[in-house]
Amino acid sequence: MLISLNELKSMVKIEISDNELFRLIGSRLVEIEHVEDLAPKYKKIYIVKVKSAEPIEGTHLHLCQIDAGKDLNAAIDPEHDGYIQVVCGAPNVKKGMFAVWIAPGAIVPATFGTSEEFEISARKLRGFMSFGMLAAADELALGSDHGGILSINPEHMLIDETGRARNIRPGDSFAMAFDLNDKIIEVENKSLTHRPDCFGLIGFAREVAGILDQPFSYVPTWVDINYDPRVATYRPLGDPDALKIHISDYSLCPRYEAYLFDIPGVSEHPENLLLDDIFLYKAGMRPVSPLVDLTNIIMLETGQPIHAFDYDKFVRISGGDRPEINVRLARKGEKLVLLDDKEIELVETDIVICSGDTPVALAGAFGGKSTAIDSSTRKIIVEIASFSLYNLRKTQMAHGIFSEAITRFTKGRPASDLSLAGEAVLKKFVYLGGELAGLATSTDPALIKNDRYLPNVVKITTPEINQLLGTNYPTDLIVRTLENVEFKIDELEAGVLEITVPTWRSDIHQKVDIIEEVGRLLGFDNAPLNFALRPFVCPVVEPLFDLKSKLRNLLSDRLGANELLTYSFVSKNLQEKSRENPDDSYKIINSISPELECFRQELVPSLLDKIRENEKSGFKDFALYELNQVSRKSWGLNNENVPEMKTHLGLTTFGDFYRAKGILLELEKSLHTKFTLKPLNSATFLEPLHSAGIYLGDEKIGELGEIRASVLKNFKLESTISAIELSLEPLLKIKPAKSASIKLSKFPFVSRDLTFRVPKDTAFEKIEEGIKTILSQNKALTYKLELVSIFRKANDDKKNLSFHLEVANLEKTLDSKAISDIIEAIVNHQKTLGAEVV
Amino acid sequence: MGRIEELKLELKNLGREYAKIKTLEGPERKAFGEKLNAKKSELLQKIKEAEDSAESESLESLDLTAPFSENAPKFEFKKGTKHPLSTELDLVAKIYREMGFSVIEACQLDDEFHMFDSLNFPKEHPARDGYDTFRTEEGFIPPAHTSTMQYRALTRFKSDLEKYGQIAVVVPGRVFRNEDVDATHEHTFYQCEGVFVSKTANLGQLLAVWKNFFETYYGQSLNIKTQPGFFPFTEPSLEFQIEKPSALGGKGDGWLEMGGCGMIHPNVLKTAGIDPEVYKGFAWGGGIDRLVMLKYGINDVRYFESGKLEFLKEF
Repeated sequence: MLISLNELKSMVKIEISDNELFRLIGSRLVEIEHVEDLAPKYKKIYIVKVKSAEPIEGTHLHLCQIDAGKDLNAAIDPEHDGYIQVVCGAPNVKKGMFAVWIAPGAIVPATFGTSEEFEISARKLRGFMSFGMLAAADELALGSDHGGILSINPEHMLIDETGRARNIRPGDSFAMAFDLNDKIIEVENKSLTHRPDCFGLIGFAREVAGILDQPFSYVPTWVDINYDPRVATYRPLGDPDALKIHISDYSLCPRYEAYLFDIPGVSEHPENLLLDDIFLYKAGMRPVSPLVDLTNIIMLETGQPIHAFDYDKFVRISGGDRPEINVRLARKGEKLVLLDDKEIELVETDIVICSGDTPVALAGAFGGKSTAIDSSTRKIIVEIASFSLYNLRKTQMAHGIFSEAITRFTKGRPASDLSLAGEAVLKKFVYLGGELAGLATSTDPALIKNDRYLPNVVKITTPEINQLLGTNYPTDLIVRTLENVEFKIDELEAGVLEITVPTWRSDIHQKVDIIEEVGRLLGFDNAPLNFALRPFVCPVVEPLFDLKSKLRNLLSDRLGANELLTYSFVSKNLQEKSRENPDDSYKIINSISPELECFRQELVPSLLDKIRENEKSGFKDFALYELNQVSRKSWGLNNENVPEMKTHLGLTTFGDFYRAKGILLELEKSLHTKFTLKPLNSATFLEPLHSAGIYLGDEKIGELGEIRASVLKNFKLESTISAIELSLEPLLKIKPAKSASIKLSKFPFVSRDLTFRVPKDTAFEKIEEGIKTILSQNKALTYKLELVSIFRKANDDKKNLSFHLEVANLEKTLDSKAISDIIEAIVNHQKTLGAEVV
Repeated sequence: MGRIEELKLELKNLGREYAKIKTLEGPERKAFGEKLNAKKSELLQKIKEAEDSAESESLESLDLTAPFSENAPKFEFKKGTKHPLSTELDLVAKIYREMGFSVIEACQLDDEFHMFDSLNFPKEHPARDGYDTFRTEEGFIPPAHTSTMQYRALTRFKSDLEKYGQIAVVVPGRVFRNEDVDATHEHTFYQCEGVFVSKTANLGQLLAVWKNFFETYYGQSLNIKTQPGFFPFTEPSLEFQIEKPSALGGKGDGWLEMGGCGMIHPNVLKTAGIDPEVYKGFAWGGGIDRLVMLKYGINDVRYFESGKLEFLKEF
């Protein structure tokens, strides 16, 4: 939303610097995104009178002499009879008109601040010197009209430097004449979502007054002195039976007011630039026609969108002798042609304004073509209404309409806050030449009592306010702060306040709403910083969080793996490539793309998807891993009735089964536990013959192995890749194995290398266990046993397992006899297991 | 002919059988069709199984108990890398732990209750209608902010209120927004939420806690400022900014927006079974991705989930 600083200054006394004001608005009302200073943009641009305009033969150009006041005339172009010579290409330039002149040295406003600023100069055109240029509207960054130069009413009034009002004169600054020495504040709409009142200049100015600790005392010139914003109905003027309103459901439209005006002959915008046009441009809008412009001006001032229908067209649609306004939901299949000639198909949540039963406007969003105001309009119906913001938000999204009106309606214009706009309509259409011919309203009876809206009343104490803010504000400061922005306050007893909320603050219902107002208007930053006292208890940290941290240290710092974070949602295609069943995934119905549709069931597929790209970047032989959440529909819901989630480790590494197993063994060691591997009848991405299930006790907690050839092919991978997919939650149950088995001997260790030749299918563990069994029989022994190599010749059906053994006796030095006995016992035992000694 | 070819031939022959169906009528035709279909899916399943086992045919089975491959030397590991976001989440959590906050994690699929109802979103609030929020077919919601964990934090640690007089929890987590991705926008990112409740919690404490966090994180004292904000689950609601720290090239002039915060709305406390007349609370939440981007001068948020080692090897 764009706010003119000059407008604010006309409503509130501002005695601080502009920058300080912007800072205060930013910290106490709304984020300011940008401030545009218009003054430099309109520098060296003047009001001039065209003294003569002669066609230049053979061209569409005119040679003009213009009057820009004595001083400028003499300074710029001393040669031409006291006037300035300008060549002008516009068809509408004529002797006697007042126009806008961009002097040499000025930047064309439309290009100001862009990367291609265009500076006007004095130059020769068709052999004639031309000093500066007469400007069209678009060149002045006022709309897009380039049909001719802008024409100014010679009787246009301005306020001069001394503060006096007078008619314009040649040489007057354009900016001064049209209120363009202004700054435009662009505010962030999002943080005013709950403040419909701030979407009008008056409401915004009220907040500025509050921030500056001033009572807001601005009264628009058009407000009746007897006006009371809390009065819900008006004395009927004109003919009260001239209109009929029917609202199908007050929850869609709690209040609808319709004003009927006879207003002939004001349908065309005059050819001169008006101050009201500038008012609209500064708000980011543009003039259309006097009637439409007036509805927009009232909206910008009061925050209440207004719509005007052509009366005759409206009545013609329903037949009958007077308008029958019906407000209802659209029906399926209904269509409506909007003012911009687009036909839309209405949806069943759209609220429509109907003439009889025929939709003629999309409520709160866009007027309809069939009742549009045009040059033949002589009577109008002006609508002021409150609509359900939820329906309008749906309308906004369904039809992609982001008009100024719907932006305001979707903040929730309360039914109780229509009367200021009503006051404006009653006065301003009359100023424009209209005569009120009828007025009808329909209001949800639940909202009013004795013709008045029931105001919200909140009771609160000074300590309650200070406690939540951590402040020490005295009662009188609190009272003044709220009264500045027109809350009514009764101090029932010392520090006990009964606060009547203004009708426009539909967002304030309870104590905390009041506390926010006080804190905000006085500046949240003024709350003194203080610390809560902390009990000396250890905070709880979810064990899973620490486990992940520990695994990262191990995998990245010690095991050379690289941690990735990849998206939690993947494509069906990726799942199929990895032999997962997409039906078991939770699927996003409004996903950004099919690539992000299915919630992950496992992490390894996401990692497989990242290998090839990294290979292409020149990385070789790397391991990737991720620690993240996965879920499957078949796991069902947890006790909170949300999908059961598991946190997994997914890991891929170049190399065979044993590379991945090597990593698992290190994991085992650092977790002080022992996993069991069991053959896996896997239908997953793992190769069944080269993979294993990972078990902790009897519980299967993951899988490990080589990626299937067909899956590798799906991912365009050529090397052998192995993977681990492991659930972390079961690891939290691990109780570290007792370390009491460690025995340290003060006697020296003796080392021996042993190689056994065994059938190739013999499990290593069987041989290892065999050795340990013998060594454990003598309780006096302590030892370290390590497998050194597994060797097998090609096509050999036996393999050699070589061990390195270090053994010591806890009580004495081992002599050679004792060693031989131990080795012999081991060898003999191995022979019973089918091993040969090499 | 191999087993797979045999099965495929059988399937082809079955296809020809279908021609007969034209000669049959009524229930006979139906029964015949069903029989052929059953036979067909049986054959397709067999082909798939045969293909799977063919895939393994040339392989020898392994010794699952061995620690490394035959004929291979023991593998020596190199140094790897941690993801910078994980490292930062650990650091953020560590600072809060030292301040006395418990740490719990957010879940990546949540529901309407935690995302909206428990956070005081009105029934018809626009945020619910799915333009910004993802939803699954079942109506579950990948959370759009870590505030979905407020209810869980409040209920899980409610007993701390009686025991120690306060709840103090932070919740790091992955969140999701229906947003077009570019250098500064990601649909997947990380946040950390903080929740504090006591009988005397106030706005000054909220600002002090978050300020102290950033001062510890950046290792210097910092000015802060706020802007009014609007969230259904806090009131007052604020946007929180810190002075640009000198580590990031700040010279006491620039400001950084760090997230939203406010006093927990009484309705949120009430929903969690905490009496808002007795207890007050504050909550705050901000993005982690941005902290990391600022820290390392990363100019494209998309690098984080790209899985590119070229990027990750920098950390």
